[in-house]
Amino acid sequence: MNTILQLVISGLLIGSIYALMSMGLTLIFGVLRVVNFAHGEFLMIAMYGAWAFSRLLGVNPYFAAVAVVPAMFLFGALVYRLVIGSAIDKPHLVVVFATMGLSIFLQNFALMTMTADLRDVPPIFPHSISIGHIYIKGELLLGFVVTLCCTAALQWTIKRTFLGKAIRATVQDGEAAKLMGIAVPRIFLIAFAAGSALVGLAACVMVPLFSVFPTVGLNFVLIAFVIVVLGGMGSIEGALLGGFCVGVVQSVSAYYVAPAFGQLFFFVLFLLVMIFRPNGLLGQKGAATLGMNE
Amino acid sequence: MKAMPAKPDGWRISGLPARGRISWFELVLFAICVAWVALGLAPTLQDVVVLSFLFAGLALAWNIAGGCAGLISFGHAAFFGIGAYASTILSQSCNVTPWLGIFAGAFAAAVAGAVLALICARLKGPFFILSSLAFAEVVRIIALNWSDVTGGAEGLSIPPVPNLANMVLGSKTAYEALMLVYLAAAYVLTRWLEASRLGFYLFAVRDNDEAAAAAGINPLVVRTAAMALSAALTGAGGTLFAQYFLYLDPTYVISPELSFQFALLPAVGGLGTAIGPILGSFLITPLSELLRSNLGNAAAGLHLVIYGFGLIVLMLYFPSGIAGALEKLRQRRPRP
Amino acid sequence: MSALLEVRDVSRTFGATRAVDKVSFAVEPGELLGLIGPNGAGKSTLFNLIAGVMPPSGGKITVDGADVTGWKSHDMARAGVARTFQIPKPYRQLSVIENVMISAFLRERSVVAARELADATLADLALAPYRDRPASELTVGLLKRLEVARALAMRPKLVLFDEIMAGLTPTEVGTMTEIVAGLPSRGITVIWVEHVLYAIMKTATRMVVVNRGRVIAEGAPAAVAREPLVVKAYLGEEMKLA
Repeated sequence: MNTILQLVISGLLIGSIYALMSMGLTLIFGVLRVVNFAHGEFLMIAMYGAWAFSRLLGVNPYFAAVAVVPAMFLFGALVYRLVIGSAIDKPHLVVVFATMGLSIFLQNFALMTMTADLRDVPPIFPHSISIGHIYIKGELLLGFVVTLCCTAALQWTIKRTFLGKAIRATVQDGEAAKLMGIAVPRIFLIAFAAGSALVGLAACVMVPLFSVFPTVGLNFVLIAFVIVVLGGMGSIEGALLGGFCVGVVQSVSAYYVAPAFGQLFFFVLFLLVMIFRPNGLLGQKGAATLGMNE
Repeated sequence: MKAMPAKPDGWRISGLPARGRISWFELVLFAICVAWVALGLAPTLQDVVVLSFLFAGLALAWNIAGGCAGLISFGHAAFFGIGAYASTILSQSCNVTPWLGIFAGAFAAAVAGAVLALICARLKGPFFILSSLAFAEVVRIIALNWSDVTGGAEGLSIPPVPNLANMVLGSKTAYEALMLVYLAAAYVLTRWLEASRLGFYLFAVRDNDEAAAAAGINPLVVRTAAMALSAALTGAGGTLFAQYFLYLDPTYVISPELSFQFALLPAVGGLGTAIGPILGSFLITPLSELLRSNLGNAAAGLHLVIYGFGLIVLMLYFPSGIAGALEKLRQRRPRP
Repeated sequence: MSALLEVRDVSRTFGATRAVDKVSFAVEPGELLGLIGPNGAGKSTLFNLIAGVMPPSGGKITVDGADVTGWKSHDMARAGVARTFQIPKPYRQLSVIENVMISAFLRERSVVAARELADATLADLALAPYRDRPASELTVGLLKRLEVARALAMRPKLVLFDEIMAGLTPTEVGTMTEIVAGLPSRGITVIWVEHVLYAIMKTATRMVVVNRGRVIAEGAPAAVAREPLVVKAYLGEEMKLA
């Protein structure tokens, strides 16, 4: 009984961090309707940034967020300007391949500059926190808290600010939004940059838990896609829920089933979602199906 | 021979590639390829030539689903692997010659393709792409873990003993010829499809599936047929690869990188055209080999940095690929 | 002679909204039935129910006596029911003739025969000059005519027209009206949903008027135009027309 509880709680905590990492992806898809195949590499770059900041200044990587989040915002804006912006009105294949090209470029740029060595930061919390018989790593708990705060902040922004309203208007009807004076390309830029900034925040929380190396993104991008699809593309709460599901599934299956099959579960889960609920748990009806013509 | 429709205005050979008709460009290109093989040119580059021909055929195979039917799949390596493993296992366990096994492999791949389409074909663009990725990963993990049958991570080896009956050829030139035959078959199939009722249905479903349904076409059936055909041809290529490379291992043969390659070549060359995938392969396959051998040692990853950068630029400035650029050229000339 | 199309007590709800509420009418072969009503009356939903885009929530639809309730678009097409789209949906990467050939393939299996049928249909609709142009190059008026061509190439028993006059110039409206008016004599029954009233009033043999998901009037065009309920539905208040 205790084991299950431990597994579920650990699963929920790690799941929340996975969710944080996926929120940027779902935001970008929700607003721009493009899948950023370089999402994992954005995470990788941000993780290197957090690691470097922490090493150079001798502080723990959570403080790196001060620098990494704005830096990722600017990086996202740059990528949008140079790559995504002109590809938006072309067939979606162009964005797919362009972001894949970006992914290859970034991975290997990191390989050239940082080499394949694993980079780590020393653990922040010396002991796990124990509540009864359950042990919780401090870093996981902190990540959980950050994720919840971030989700709340995002919800508040979307619902209460003008920017949030502009974003929602653009999502619902881009043409009408333009007619109302909303600069839709600017909304796209902001959404893409904000999505990248979210990845930056996730990186700062993840660096104490995972080593950084050039292809680290590949491990996480698949998880991010599963979460986003499970939760419903474009839904922030969906990403959180999806993250929890994935975290618990991974935690429980890693313990009870051979690790080799761990990944298999993800993909089967993904395919099942696609078959039965392609719009995800909380996504808009018809986002995933309703004809393949945009 | 080649099945061409009898057009009322008589079919003639156009100068540059166009849909529905053969062009001098392609005939000349084919002649060059045959001559290259027959004359045994560039003996040091024979590996590159073999792969260029093979990948051109594989690109044409992908194009049937991706370019003609609009089913952009990033999971075709699954079909490649199924074909390769099926024929190899049949050959090693049941003594079935790969000349027959290739059809079994193609059939198995076709079934897998039909399954993928039936499950996922009603999904929109990015969702379908991700589903196909997931599908291929499932196949890869199964292949990796089903060691009794597939040899697992250790893979399967084919003894390098030249034996025509077992499709192990004695010279690189012979392999060049084999792959060229595959390429020609894929090309003929694509041209036939373009001019057939099924081909028209593929284009209709790609361009506007609601209108196609209103015209009496069942989009799911058409997409499934396209995917099965595409998968079968890809599986056949897998068998040929196995017989050339003589070693199969799931990590390479059913990898996302390979799937990506199958999609990239037609995209660069021109989606939905018969010549596009061929041009894409003839450009990219030698280029990546060249980059890898010259720069791969200079700095780990440099060749891929250039490759990635080049891909971004290409996609942004030539979204219709090389064939698209040629088409624009063709439209500038006065119609014959 | 049994009705070609019969709609019996057909309803369609979306959540709490009853878009179509127990609608019944029949169409005899050779009729040119006009289906009109103010905005939001449920005409489009009714149209889509007959075309097979969505199944009805209740009721029955039959074609030539056969029950086709809940049949999908492609099955309805094979049953002999063709439709046009209000916002034209051409196959953009194909030429005009190829667009029509796709529809022609329903009746002709070979490419040659389909092309001949397509050519004949294009000639009927004066679209032959645009035969080899990519469909993406056509103007709205021509695209609407292409929609009609695609429907006719299916050699249908019944054609459903969805606001084909919208966005056309008066000359184009005249041409299109002539085309539609000539269909019954070729053995093609027509159901025509339309907003451009003067066109439909002079061509239709019978009218059905819907408002708020219900049939409020049925009969000859002139009679229906005088019905107080119809006038009220369009103009919102009682008003004498002349």
